[in-house]
Amino acid sequence: MYRFRFHGRGGQGIKTASRIFGTAAFLEGFNAQDFPMYGPERRGAPVAAYVRISREPIVSRGYINNPDVVIVGDETLLFDPIADPLRGFGGGVLFVNTPSTPRIELDGHVVTLDITGLALEYIGRTSAISAGVGAVASKIAGFTKSNTLDAVAMELEEIGVPGELIDKNLKLAEVSYDSVPSFDLESLPSIERSDFVDMGVVQVRLDDGYIGVATIANLGNTAIRKTGNWRILKPIIDMDKCTGCKICFAYCPDVSIYMGDDGKAHINYDYCKGCLICSSVCPFKAITMVREVKTL
Amino acid sequence: MSRYRGVRDIPDEEYVAPGSALCAGCAAEIIARHMLKVLGRDTIMVNVPGCYAISTLFPYTAVKVPFVFGVFGGGAAVAQGIRDGLDILREKRGINNERVNYKVVVYVGDGAAYDIGFQSTSAAIHRGLDFYFVCYDNEAYGNTGFQLSGATPYASRTSTSEPVGDSIGNEYRKKDIFEIWRAHGAPYVATISVSHITDMLNKFEKAKEFRGPKLFVALSICPTGWGASEEETIRIARLAVETGMWPLKEAVYGEVRHTFIPRRLKPVEEYLKTQRRFRHLFKPVRREEEIRRIQEAVEEYWRRVRESEAGG
Ligand SMILES: Cc1ncc(C[n+]2csc(CCOP(=O)(O)OP(=O)(O)O)c2C)c(N)n1
Ligand code: SF4
Ligand code: SF4
Ligand code: SF4
Ligand SMILES: [Mg+2]
Repeated sequence: MYRFRFHGRGGQGIKTASRIFGTAAFLEGFNAQDFPMYGPERRGAPVAAYVRISREPIVSRGYINNPDVVIVGDETLLFDPIADPLRGFGGGVLFVNTPSTPRIELDGHVVTLDITGLALEYIGRTSAISAGVGAVASKIAGFTKSNTLDAVAMELEEIGVPGELIDKNLKLAEVSYDSVPSFDLESLPSIERSDFVDMGVVQVRLDDGYIGVATIANLGNTAIRKTGNWRILKPIIDMDKCTGCKICFAYCPDVSIYMGDDGKAHINYDYCKGCLICSSVCPFKAITMVREVKTL
Repeated sequence: MSRYRGVRDIPDEEYVAPGSALCAGCAAEIIARHMLKVLGRDTIMVNVPGCYAISTLFPYTAVKVPFVFGVFGGGAAVAQGIRDGLDILREKRGINNERVNYKVVVYVGDGAAYDIGFQSTSAAIHRGLDFYFVCYDNEAYGNTGFQLSGATPYASRTSTSEPVGDSIGNEYRKKDIFEIWRAHGAPYVATISVSHITDMLNKFEKAKEFRGPKLFVALSICPTGWGASEEETIRIARLAVETGMWPLKEAVYGEVRHTFIPRRLKPVEEYLKTQRRFRHLFKPVRREEEIRRIQEAVEEYWRRVRESEAGG
């Protein structure tokens, strides 16, 4: 059995990517099991999806804690303490959607591709990367291109994506498929061949036993979770136009605007999620927006 | 008399930290932020399952006042326990410090307020519990994927009222929770909207004068469930008020007063068109009769308001 874990942000299509991969595996003659994390799937918030594939019937259930392959749809998740995509990763294959080249090689087991850039090129949207991510996973597993593309078409059709958009997604899937290498899954160091390791008892990650009651003493500690990397568009205040009227400050849902000593509004980009409410309410049109360029 | 005359008067203190995992553009965050600015540091917040619960995902919390998480239907019962505990410390143990005088506020969604937690809320109001109950009403069960609730408006699409074929989406009417609460005889009941921040701040401030249940229902724009653009949150809230679909009012010991009366109602479709949950009213064919039905219900409401408030 091989275990694939997908990480991404709500709205990126990570669940669909995992379904594409599961369906491709099925077309390849595998038994396949795919399912998303149950929990708050907010746009922009970390989400995960899981796929088990096996030549034998799969009796394991539950989240995957020891993935052979980890697929990361958003590079900024690598540093997110809640997403924690490398948890339990034993050195199989790691894929990261990023325009950068990897700094660690792990004997060629770290693969990268700028799927977001490709999505912008082929579909015109940065958020629709499911076809690319699904195709990359499929290629890593060594599945054929035709099964991969069939799986993309089937899954997108099922969620009601219109025909012409499916064609664009197929193009994205094909380019993504062609851009990454295949692996012989059987030879990966991490592969635990027995089906019995995580069988029966579901390994839910829980905290140590001494934390009996979930009490948080450090109020407001979400501040160490930077939501700034949710942004796709970035608001920018033109200080010459800002009158300090405080309207944007009043309406920011994420407490990301503060009034400076200069009497003007300032944005805290560590947290601003890029909703652009501030820009829409500013009576002086002092807030414009630019496309976010993510930095690690 | 109003303490807050404009956004300049908004208190600087923040009792909510950034970094929570609610969707970008979510109005439930704006409401909580301003509610706590007025109620202040000496407040205990009770929350139950629903979107706002993810302000606090163990081991992180965005809320900077004491925050207690209860079961879905039990928000008001948890508040009763906290209030009783504090009162016992004061009355039986003779402790009198700021802590035993903490305010208790239940902050929950419409699923909790209108449906599953209705019984415990009704019972707490009946017992005259001294607490605030604030519902951020996003008009469906948002956290679990936007299913129909007793607060879902007529014709809204939800994941359990899909407008397939001839279906109109939700065929039921939204419960009038304001009137239901008012009928309990609560000292203070109010509706609020994020578009009218000073109105909201003043209502929270005014509620402090009363002992007993103080009940609020806030229209909570939900870009994700409503299928709206995040930056439109405030504009949509304003349209809800200006089309007359979300009246701003308060009732003091049952006496109703509208705090904003639109001089001319904007057509309801200006509001409906901003959200994908109502798209089937306009596409592929315009459902003229349904749109008119919604418009007429709003006009009928305001006709009665004008009659009674002019006469009274
Ligand atoms: C007794 C119980 N039933 C069901 C659930 C699952 N559940 C969690 S949140 C939620 C929806 C809450 O809806 P609402 O109160 O409107 O808040 P929103 O999510 O819209 O903010 C449901 C059904 C639960 N936690 N407990
Ligand atoms: S709303 Fe515009 S003018 Fe007012 S404080 Fe914000 S940026 Fe400045
Ligand atoms: S875009 Fe503006 S309103 Fe939205 S989170 Fe960022 S600063 Fe706040
Ligand atoms: S689903 Fe709606 S109510 Fe829930 S966090 Fe997202 S925007 Fe807010
Ligand atoms: Mg709700």
